[in-house]
Amino acid sequence: MTGRGVAIVGGACTDFGVRPLTWAELAQEAGAALFSAVPGLRAEDVDSLFVGAAMPERFAFQSHVAPLAAEQMGLRPRRLLQRTELACASGQSAIRSAYAAIASGLSDIAVAVGVEKMNLPSMAEANTSMACVMDRPWDGPAGATAPPFFAMVAQRHMLEHGTTAEQLAAVSEKNHRLANTNPHAQFFAKRFSREKLLGLPIVAPPLRLGDCSSMTDGAAAVVLVADEFLRRFPGPVAWVRGSGQYSDFHNLANAGSLTDWVGMKLAAREALRQAKVDVGELDLAELHDCFTISEIVEYEALGLCPPGGGGRWAADGNSELGGTLPVNLRGGLLGCGHPLGATGIAQAVEVYEQFASRVPAARQVRDPRWALVHNLSGSANVHSLMVYERGEAS
Amino acid sequence: MSGARPARPRPRLETAAVPPPAPERTGDAGAVPFLLDFLPLQGERDTRLARFYERLKAGRLSTTRCRRDGTIAWPPRTACPRCHAAELDWVDLPSTGTLYAFSAVLGGAPLGMEAEVPFAVGLVDLDGVPLRLFGRVVGRPWTELAVGEPVAVESYSTPDGRVYYRFRAGASR
Ligand SMILES: [Zn+2]
Repeated sequence: MTGRGVAIVGGACTDFGVRPLTWAELAQEAGAALFSAVPGLRAEDVDSLFVGAAMPERFAFQSHVAPLAAEQMGLRPRRLLQRTELACASGQSAIRSAYAAIASGLSDIAVAVGVEKMNLPSMAEANTSMACVMDRPWDGPAGATAPPFFAMVAQRHMLEHGTTAEQLAAVSEKNHRLANTNPHAQFFAKRFSREKLLGLPIVAPPLRLGDCSSMTDGAAAVVLVADEFLRRFPGPVAWVRGSGQYSDFHNLANAGSLTDWVGMKLAAREALRQAKVDVGELDLAELHDCFTISEIVEYEALGLCPPGGGGRWAADGNSELGGTLPVNLRGGLLGCGHPLGATGIAQAVEVYEQFASRVPAARQVRDPRWALVHNLSGSANVHSLMVYERGEAS
Repeated sequence: MSGARPARPRPRLETAAVPPPAPERTGDAGAVPFLLDFLPLQGERDTRLARFYERLKAGRLSTTRCRRDGTIAWPPRTACPRCHAAELDWVDLPSTGTLYAFSAVLGGAPLGMEAEVPFAVGLVDLDGVPLRLFGRVVGRPWTELAVGEPVAVESYSTPDGRVYYRFRAGASR
């Protein structure tokens, strides 16, 4: 790694769910939450803003959202201002862009915010918007959306490895249960037993409603700071230690194996290599559980279990708090909902709060040092990973 | 499984560089506005791949093959993704394949497709070429489909004169 050290010094989430507010009001709420969560933060010190937003043109009929977010949050960026779009990984893209800007010296103190307003009066219109993430003229006309694609991943995983609907439900039950520790989660205070999950309607066979993350309104924000400015923010920090991405296809025809996510393996190898840490040293992970099957394939891509063994690994409790590697302690996308641009930021907020020992005891990892965050986007054709290490600013 | 695979089909060559006469603009009379409509505009004024749709209208699913290194790409290209040459030929693709994976849309369909719910979609390994195409699967309900079964490629027309391809499962198994 070259460049300056970069750390997250705090962050905040809005409530996630079906929210009676607009895109701009979400951005405003995230700004207010951020300034309240990070006492040392002064608006005039924030020189740059990166805005993760997947499709405000579709969901809010609004483009040029970076200055809109800045205005709503009370920020006047004087160095770098831009929106980052990478579908479901737009939020992590904002963090990575802020990290790159600070490491290179172009920015000293930057905010990364993610905002998505997804619930519209017309569900069909929202579904159309989600579908344009795929290769529009070549996959779109057949009706390609995320659920049938990930359903085919699940079908092949069941066929090749004997993964069961009960194992999928185990992932869903875990993440929905953990969401009960997170008042910001869409499914906070909602109980889902495995039996209940297995009785929910099929959305895209073999996936049922409880196997799929939701359409969610929400926003989240973090502050990233160069090492030489850390003294302004005394307390725990999350150092960015590694970053990796990989993409080798877009059209579904070029996906290769549906069940062996080679791109994730390569991106993880790069992120862990930069951080000089082994997967076995991680204390917690936020993995992109847009669907239950995703989390299962991701365990395998990280080498946490043998190829094909992810379903059993989950059902055996390895990804629970106290297990081999706790995964998605805030409740994941399944429990929190998945506001596309906000998800990657909310995952980083969870890492920071875990490092700062500020989450409820029911999901607090004891003395965590290393955390990994993963987002996939589209049809798992892009994998984005970051590695964080706990530190202390004084 | 589909049993014995046919021999690799002999591609029918056609030079991509020779454009056919320009037809009128197509497809702006669809059921949904252009920017909410997944079916692409297909005419000479809309895309350099208009030949793909012309051939599909004649029942021939095709793609481009690089004259320099033989790369068969999907989707069809105007430049080879391997060597970036622009000298590409159109080649017909096999009209049969094997269902590799499938699912179905039981709800939450995009605009213009709601009336077609429930519908099946799948990935199909085309016989004799290393291509696995995604598409709609018709012929039987999703509950009666099976991984590994043979399907046929077919083209179909929309009321506004555009054309697309899909897969057809046998009437019974
Ligand atoms: Zn070539």
